Amino acid sequence: MTLNIAVIVKLEPDFSEGSVSYNPDGTLNRAETKSRLGAHSAIASLAAFYTKVKYGGYISICSMGPPMAEIALQEAQSISDADELHLYSDRLFASADTLATAEVLKQGIKKMNTGKEMDIVFSGHRASDGETGQTGPQTAWKLGFTFLGNVIDFSVDLNNRYIFAKRLVALPGFYDIVEEIQAPLPVFIAIDPSYKPTFDTISLRLTSGRYLKEAKERAVNYKSYLNVLDHKKLELDPRLVGLPGSPTIVHKVEKIPKARTTRSAELIEGDDRQGIINSVTKILQLIQK
Amino acid sequence: MENCDVTIVGGGSAGLAALKHLSSLGKQAILLEAGKEIGSKNVSGGILYSKKSNNGKIYNVEDIYGESFLNESPYERLITKYILNATSKDKIFSIDLTESHDYQTNFGVSVLLNKLNSWFAQEAQIEAEKLGGGIITGVHVRSLRWDEKSSKIIVETDELEEFETKVMIAADGVNSEIAEMTNAREKFSPSELYQGVKVLVKLPEKIIEERFNITNSDEGAAYLFAGDVSLNLIGGGFLYTNRDSLSIGGVYHYDSLLEHPIEPTEIVNAMLRNPLISELIKDDVPLKEIDKTLPKEEQVRKSFAITKLLNNWNELRQLYYSHKLKKKSIEDRKYTSEDEIKSKLDNLTQKLTNEYHTKFMTNYIELEYTTKLVPDGKRGRMKKPYYKNILFIGDAAGRGLFIGPRIEGLNVGIDDAARASIAIARSLDKNNFESNYLGDFYSQSIEQSPYTVDMKEIDKQYLGVILNSTRKKISPDALGFKHKLVFNLISNQGLRNFFISLINKYGYTRLLSFIESEDVYYKIPIKIADKLGTVKSSTYIPQIPTVQDRVAKLCYHEDTISHIKILNSGKNFLKKMVTLCPTKCYSLEGNDVVLQHEGCIECGTCSKETEWRHPRGEKGVLFKYG
Ligand SMILES: Cc1cc2nc3c(=O)[nH]c(=O)nc-3n(C[C@H](O)[C@H](O)[C@H](O)COP(=O)(O)OP(=O)(O)OC[C@H]3O[C@@H](n4cnc5c(N)ncnc54)[C@H](O)[C@@H]3O)c2cc1C
Ligand code: SF4
Repeated sequence: MTLNIAVIVKLEPDFSEGSVSYNPDGTLNRAETKSRLGAHSAIASLAAFYTKVKYGGYISICSMGPPMAEIALQEAQSISDADELHLYSDRLFASADTLATAEVLKQGIKKMNTGKEMDIVFSGHRASDGETGQTGPQTAWKLGFTFLGNVIDFSVDLNNRYIFAKRLVALPGFYDIVEEIQAPLPVFIAIDPSYKPTFDTISLRLTSGRYLKEAKERAVNYKSYLNVLDHKKLELDPRLVGLPGSPTIVHKVEKIPKARTTRSAELIEGDDRQGIINSVTKILQLIQK
Repeated sequence: MENCDVTIVGGGSAGLAALKHLSSLGKQAILLEAGKEIGSKNVSGGILYSKKSNNGKIYNVEDIYGESFLNESPYERLITKYILNATSKDKIFSIDLTESHDYQTNFGVSVLLNKLNSWFAQEAQIEAEKLGGGIITGVHVRSLRWDEKSSKIIVETDELEEFETKVMIAADGVNSEIAEMTNAREKFSPSELYQGVKVLVKLPEKIIEERFNITNSDEGAAYLFAGDVSLNLIGGGFLYTNRDSLSIGGVYHYDSLLEHPIEPTEIVNAMLRNPLISELIKDDVPLKEIDKTLPKEEQVRKSFAITKLLNNWNELRQLYYSHKLKKKSIEDRKYTSEDEIKSKLDNLTQKLTNEYHTKFMTNYIELEYTTKLVPDGKRGRMKKPYYKNILFIGDAAGRGLFIGPRIEGLNVGIDDAARASIAIARSLDKNNFESNYLGDFYSQSIEQSPYTVDMKEIDKQYLGVILNSTRKKISPDALGFKHKLVFNLISNQGLRNFFISLINKYGYTRLLSFIESEDVYYKIPIKIADKLGTVKSSTYIPQIPTVQDRVAKLCYHEDTISHIKILNSGKNFLKKMVTLCPTKCYSLEGNDVVLQHEGCIECGTCSKETEWRHPRGEKGVLFKYG
């Protein structure tokens, strides 16, 4: 028996230096900023990969977004060795809030792997571009799956169809707790950013090596794994998606101004002895203060 | 506990050949390599040989990887010119030894081990995978024990759960921990080792061909050096042409270094300063200079712009001087003609000079600095290269072949690998891993290898070929009375054969200290260069980087835990390491020697009197070229 694994991923602005671009008023310039698979989505893809290596499985990855979001799917495939890619793309999906997004994702997940029921759905902790972390729980609720958040480690009992998971519960200002949970499959897992898979036996290493090689080859031909689905193919009621399906009323959007740099860097060449002496003196003075 | 049939420890050229050959024989095997990637820990000079012999079968690289090896593998150049240079200050005397190089040789190709071993790994992995085996990198084998009942080996690593294996191949190199943890052999003594040092120098393809008079672009030259470049040590230098780089270095008797400690960088520096070599390596090197009087922000802007232009300049120049890249870029319609590339390159040069005041000076560019111990098979090879159900191959078994101008380890390790694989396949078929069935069979096979014969006896014919080449150019009168007498005696074939038979009978190894002497390595070459050499002059003084600069260029994945432990900080041996460690990891504090393991390039020079291990999986130095 193997597992049916789904992963929800998101195309996000690449905030790294050289890729990100801001408008003069400090807001993100989406047109100029490069996009790529979000960091949390990458970790979710890695968790799916681990599951496939350890227990065997069929991985389907989905994303809701514009046509260019297929590059996020490609990157996720190169991490996870996905067997199938879904892109939910439709003008009607625009301006969706988390609930409307969850509706699309739920419907898509039901169509994965020729409609077989998923055993585990992975999502990232949350997105980095102004998402509120609710899409995951809402999709889980719509699917009727148990939701497990902040998962840092897990194992599956295939015979009895149980998952054992460790959750990192942070109590800000106090301490962190690791909670151990047992839940029946199917489950929806929001993977914690600190998750790190370990391949610590020969067979896991050999299998992961083989799948990883396959993943790189597949990702080159990702288009042959890709299904683009609109609201019709997903058999979605237009009233439940996009703006009409979004009950959220945005009260006010706080612009996050581009942070003013508070640091000022001074460039010292390696051969500038006096420069080096001056800065070391300055640092020493600051420490003494 | 998981289990497998065969475990190979070490993914150098020997271990990889074992994986490939075992898989070809239909046997499942896994290979564990400590480095993060295959090839990242391996160092060679290096020329990879394919040989033939009247003394029996040799398993060559093409026997393991297929007859199309020369068409498919990423070797650098086919060596068709082999020159020995005797040096004395600015005087050089060259002797063409191509005939001796070609003696019993199918081919010799220059190689860079990172690239070559990665290719070997790719080929071996395809076969191993089919049988459920394969390569696992980033895993360091820490200890072994035996299951009393089954006699299987239980392998403990720093990274994986322990597992069982029926049989093991130790291909973990000269500083073999498997040999040490099993006591299969003693640590090599200084007289059984060489220290090899090398720098890789960048030089465009076409310039290499012009300087070395190479007419066929796939061919190349190899130069050996003896004389004052060896700094009065027993050893010699080499310079090999790669596609677009030169491997320059030396291989020195380790006991001679312990007697007269000298910094390993000084050995390569002496080579680089030799006028013949400095002229061969020189190139136009841009000097990035920024006007310090400009405002700071302007300086940064300029610096970024120059870096970008220089990158373009480097790329375009490499393309312009490379046959293949140039042809491809024109075929791909990136450029219309060679002239267009040339004019773009000239424009860039002008822009750099005129707009950014970049100066171009005559100097040379180093890409990588490496050092490693190499075992001398004549003295140190394991007489019985096995322990229980573990077979030792390659450097781990001490099987380097160093005879006169012959510097061979890669091909010997490949031959060992094939023999070990055959012995193991036979044992797997009979499910018998007893020493008298597996170990003894392998040991006998190794004894029959023509390489072992070469380690034990002088080959009369080979000596004759070398003497012939030498006689053509050197009159014995140039040698002085004593050496003239010896030279004349051994030049006579009848007498030579008589003496060699006597030596081989008496014990070649006992006479090695006379054969590998100061006279042979530097006194005679200096005399010859002085008398017969021509004066070479250099048009510039190469600006040689410091050790710190060289180390700064290397790539490391630092481990917080030191893989080396000092046992007695006051010992004389360790004091010598302050000089002999190639990356200056040792220093003196009062009367005690302290070690800073960061920067270690895992050469093994200090291993004799320390607790020495390889770093844990993925940690330590990562060589880009090797
Ligand atoms: C400067 C120099 C010049 C040379 N020139 C030539 C030449 O021109 N021609 C020639 O044929 N030979 C030459 N040699 C010799 C040749 O390079 C070596 O003989 C050869 O590379 C040895 O290969 P090997 O596979 O036995 O060992 P290595 O290449 O040393 O491989 C051993 C591997 O084992 C791994 N390892 C070690 N311990 C462990 C562990 N516990 N767990 C997991 N992995 C482990 C290491 O990371 C390493 O990758 C030269 C050597 C030097 C240094
Ligand atoms: S510390 Fe030892 S092994 Fe490391 S580079 Fe120095 S001498 Fe070589």
